[in-house]
Amino acid sequence: MIRTLFTRELLGGAVTPLPWVLLGGAQIVLAWIFLQVLEEVAGLDAATRQHSLTLELTLNLFGFTAVILMFAAPLMGARMLSAELRDGRFALLASAPIGSGEIVLGKYLGLWALLSPLCLLPALNLLLLVGAAPLDAGQIAAATLGLWLVAGLFAAVAIHASTLSTQPTSATLAAFAVLLLLSVIGRAEQFVDGSLSLFGWLTWNEHLFWFLLGAVRLSDLAYFALFSAVFLALAQRRLDNRRLA
Amino acid sequence: MRATALSRRFGRHQALSEVELTLDTGQVLGLLGPNGAGKSTCLRLLAGVLAPSSGRIEILGTDLARQPRLAKRRIGYLPERPPLHPELRVDEYLRFCARLRGIPRERINASLDAAKHRCGLDRAGRQLVGTLSKGYQQRLGIAQAIIHRPRVLILDEPTEGLDPYQIRALRALIRDLAHECGIILSSHILPEVQAVCDRVMILHQGRVRYDGYPAADHNPHLWRIRLGDPEQGERLQALDSLDQVSPLDEARYRVVLKDGASAADLARELVAAGVDLHELHPERSDLERVFFDLTGAEEST
Repeated sequence: MIRTLFTRELLGGAVTPLPWVLLGGAQIVLAWIFLQVLEEVAGLDAATRQHSLTLELTLNLFGFTAVILMFAAPLMGARMLSAELRDGRFALLASAPIGSGEIVLGKYLGLWALLSPLCLLPALNLLLLVGAAPLDAGQIAAATLGLWLVAGLFAAVAIHASTLSTQPTSATLAAFAVLLLLSVIGRAEQFVDGSLSLFGWLTWNEHLFWFLLGAVRLSDLAYFALFSAVFLALAQRRLDNRRLA
Repeated sequence: MRATALSRRFGRHQALSEVELTLDTGQVLGLLGPNGAGKSTCLRLLAGVLAPSSGRIEILGTDLARQPRLAKRRIGYLPERPPLHPELRVDEYLRFCARLRGIPRERINASLDAAKHRCGLDRAGRQLVGTLSKGYQQRLGIAQAIIHRPRVLILDEPTEGLDPYQIRALRALIRDLAHECGIILSSHILPEVQAVCDRVMILHQGRVRYDGYPAADHNPHLWRIRLGDPEQGERLQALDSLDQVSPLDEARYRVVLKDGASAADLARELVAAGVDLHELHPERSDLERVFFDLTGAEEST
C-alpha cells in the first residue's frame, strides 16, 4: 500500500511543472556558482589557496542546493495532503482500508523521491571536472548523502505542515517557518553560555557541514533520522486527530 | 450494516444524536433532510472517514472501530465531491483505486473492466479525468466506489448537479447495483429519494424524525378536497365514487375513494354535482408530511 501511494505521488508530482521549474532554476544558479568558484580558485597560486578545490566546490554548490531545498520541499509538500484535504480527495484515502501511518509514509517517500534529483545536481556539475582536476570522490559522495538526508528531513517537515491546514499556501508558509527556525536556531548559542551546545545541535546546517567536509558521523545520521521520524509521527497523529476532532 | 446509538459532536455542536440504522443487502435506504441536518456527517461516520463521538458501527458483524481495515474492504463510498485526480486518465485512476482497496494484482484488470462497464465508462478509459463532464465524473466516482464489489455502498448526494437524463440513468444504475449490496444515499430532494429508495430515514438537526417504507404508507385512495363554499360539503356524502368523507375544517375534507374509482371519476362527479371545487390532491404520506413539516420549518427560519 505504501508503494502504491509512493508511485502515485511520484508520478503525480512529475507531471506538474513545479519540480522541473525548480530543477531548471537550480541548475542555472549552480552553474553560475560553479564557474565563479572555478575562476576564483584558478586565479590563486598554490601557496595562497587555503582549501582544496573539492571543499570550495562542495561548500558552495551543496550549501546553495540545501537552500533551494528549503523552498522546494514546502512548495511540493503542500499538494500532498493539504490540497487533497481542501479538494475532498482525501476521502478516497480515508475510506480505503489503509492506516494513517501508511498514508504519511507513502506520501513522504514520494516527496523525498521528487526532491532527490535536486540532491544529485551538485554532484552532476562536479562530474564536468573529472579528468581535468583532482577531486575527492569520497567527499563528494558524503556531501551528496548529507544533502539527500537534508531533503528527507525537509520532506518530513513539509508533510507534517501539509496536515496542519486545508490551505496549501498556509501549509507552505508553516513548513518554511519551521525550516527557517531550524536553520537559525544555532545562532541562539551566541546569546547563551558558550558551553551549552543544544541549539547548535538542533540546527540542520551544523550537521550538513560535517557531511560537506567528507565526514559521515553516526551522530549526524541519528539527527536526521530522529528529526524526520518525529515530524512524520506528528503528521500521523494529526491525521488521526482529524478523524476524531 | 448496523449502526447503534451513533452520535457525533463537533466542539459544542451536536451534529448527530443517537442514530440507529440497519441496512440489508438489496435494500436502498434514502437519507433525507434539509441542508445541515447531519446527512453527510452520518455517511462519513458510516464510511469510516470520521470517528463517532459515541456509538458503534458493524458491517457484516465486523466492528468498524476495532477492525477498520477489514470493515472498510466491504464499504464503497462516494463523497459529496467525487474524490477524483484530474491529472490522471480514467483507467489510471481506477487502477490506483483498485490497489488502494487491496484488490489482488491479477484481478485488477477484470475489476476495472466490470466497474467501467456498469457505470457506462467503457469508452472513456483513455480520457483525462479533468476533461470529463460532470455526469461522467459522477459515474467515475461511483465506479471507484464499486470497483472492489463492496457489500455496502454509501453515496452522498449522488445526483447533485446532474441533468434530468443523467439523473434517470443514475437511478437505473443504483437499482441495478442494489442487487448485490445494500445502498445508503443521501439527498435533500424528496421525489429523488422516493424514486429510488425502498426505505427512507429523515434526519433533522441530527436526529432521526422518520424511518419507514414510503411505498407502504402511501394510500392511493386517500385524497383531499377544498371547496369554495363550505355549505356544499353535505353534497359530498351523496357521491358514488366516495367511500368515506371526513371534514378537516369547514371547507377542507379528507376523502377515501371506493375500490375501482379514480380521481378522474371523483372530479367528474364533483363538477356534475355543481360543487365549487378549489383543490383536489392526493393525501400526503407520513413521509411527505414529516418532510414538508421540516422543510417548512426551515423556510420560515
